[in-house]
Amino acid sequence: MATPGRSARSVLACGEVRTGLLPSFQALDGRAAAQLLRLRADEHVRVSERPNLYALSPEVLTGVDCRLPTSNGAKVRGVGTVIARAALTEGRVLQSTAYFSAPADGPDVRRPWGHYLVRPGVVEPFGKLPEQATADGVLRGGGRGDLDLGMISEGLLAQLVRHPLLDHKAPFKSRRTHLRWAARRTPEGQEPALDRFTLAQDGLRTVELRVPESIPAGAVAGLCEDLALHDWLLTTVVHMLENSRLGAADGPAAVLALRPAVDHLLHLWMPRAHVDRALGHLWDVLEREPGFSRQWENLRQRIRDQLAIQAIPLLHQALSTR
Amino acid sequence: MTEAVFRETTADPGTQSVPLAHLSLELGHLYMEDFEAGPERLREHFAEVRIWVDAARASAARRIGGKRPRVSTCFLIDDYFSRFSTPAELIPLVLEEAERAGVVIDYLARESGCAVADRIELAESVMHRLVESPPPGSHGSRPPVSQTGWLANGQRTSPNRSALAEIVTWQPPQETAARNHSVFMDVELWSETDKGRLWSCPFLAAVWQLARLGLLRHLGEPVLVPKPWTGGEFPQDWDRLPPLLKLNDSRVAFSAYRTCTLMANRFLAVEDAVRLILDQVDVDSEALQQVAKRSAAEGVAVPEAVAQRATYVFYEEPANPSSPDGS
Repeated sequence: MATPGRSARSVLACGEVRTGLLPSFQALDGRAAAQLLRLRADEHVRVSERPNLYALSPEVLTGVDCRLPTSNGAKVRGVGTVIARAALTEGRVLQSTAYFSAPADGPDVRRPWGHYLVRPGVVEPFGKLPEQATADGVLRGGGRGDLDLGMISEGLLAQLVRHPLLDHKAPFKSRRTHLRWAARRTPEGQEPALDRFTLAQDGLRTVELRVPESIPAGAVAGLCEDLALHDWLLTTVVHMLENSRLGAADGPAAVLALRPAVDHLLHLWMPRAHVDRALGHLWDVLEREPGFSRQWENLRQRIRDQLAIQAIPLLHQALSTR
Repeated sequence: MTEAVFRETTADPGTQSVPLAHLSLELGHLYMEDFEAGPERLREHFAEVRIWVDAARASAARRIGGKRPRVSTCFLIDDYFSRFSTPAELIPLVLEEAERAGVVIDYLARESGCAVADRIELAESVMHRLVESPPPGSHGSRPPVSQTGWLANGQRTSPNRSALAEIVTWQPPQETAARNHSVFMDVELWSETDKGRLWSCPFLAAVWQLARLGLLRHLGEPVLVPKPWTGGEFPQDWDRLPPLLKLNDSRVAFSAYRTCTLMANRFLAVEDAVRLILDQVDVDSEALQQVAKRSAAEGVAVPEAVAQRATYVFYEEPANPSSPDGS
């Protein structure tokens, strides 16, 4: 007896996370976050208040029947469903992920749709899955007509930002990033590993992982959302500091340019806050090299120092006019 | 690894399970004109149904190895598309005629309960769970079921305008899971009326099947929970009748691993549409797992695909017994 959702063992899980600033002047509180992410009326939005405010939408499915992206040009048709979900951190950073798992092989005919629907998030290949080529293909991005995870996560994001709760008055300008990930499945008992994190151009990041079969794809997606969130924070604050023309700009201008970081971003740094316990330690690799938190600490210190320096003339002014 | 010390209930909401019988047996479906035709028509109906009830019970018993199966029976009255008489008048009549034929109705439901039950918009929720079967070539664009209100089992006919001329060539529709040739079906899920959205009969029947299969939840809680009938008068107004009523002290649950629906063969097209819908509903995965685990533990594993759990007996319409003078 096959339990629904437990189909043939998956050998690969892949996804894409889009991360951006919520287009709203005010950060959303827990209730509003739950309202925004209520993709279905009959299912709960998961809301956490510790250690930070974090809301996770129900998962929705998109049916696909198309070629899988492959790096070697192999043509593999896949049929099944891709899971999409969205998360909002501290009512400020909105992320959407699309992900799927794939078994090593599948039949050469398409089965009744009900077969795929009881395996949410599984895309079955026709014939044998070229595992490495598919993992590489997803990371590189597919060609025309290939399975497009980016389009699915972008579609969800587009749906969410049309929500009437949002006033489209973002407090500062920022760019979205997208992070693609691929996790090869390893036998039970092996330790999960983060093999590569690549910072590419135009906001693209890729992550390669190895994860034992027992860890659900949703947990891997959660880890990658966490990585994407913190990478976005670094990217955004670095950009903000560059634009503030630190040192060159006159006092008030620098303060104005940096203030959004203090108001909206500095408190968001909290690696592995909502990451599955079995995967949290994968952060350690990135902390050693390049040192995500180290860089963040440095940025935060620069911003604080800058604001402190700018405060001195104001203090003088205040004292002299007494 | 140790258990987590800290837990937030809002971060980890559970899904309640529901009690489950082996089989939920529906004792036919009648249109308003059947009720209008008087008690003789009902009598004929239940006499025919009785035969298939026995057959369905025997089949359920065989499936569980000859033991006594838990079979609950139900009857659905249409108060959604047309309203006829009152519960106080009609229900005793139905119960009396069923009893006369030796058929026991355990649960009685109103069709509007499949649209809205206890202020929960069931049909709306199920509509949001539709995941269209993707025709080949679908690589991630979201199909707009919620815009069109139609659901098909393949690709529709689309007039293709050629680039050069005003010539419109006809493209045949195509069933996605066709074997050699297509049997294409397109089902209207709702229509918009002055009074709001009117759900179609197949769509409400799909909701009804999901309820009978124990697969509906609202925020993790069971929906369409049967209310016991204490034996008093039935109300004068359909709206005051609970959406699902338990008529006797049967201990067999309303929902079941499988459903069997006994109906006249004029309903065949509707039920084919119901299966088309069921095949494209992404039901609550925890509810699905609960059913799978429990049925497997009892040694009566359910078919994986939800639509496969619904079975039918289509019988010939009983002849109209009314005499020539129209009584």
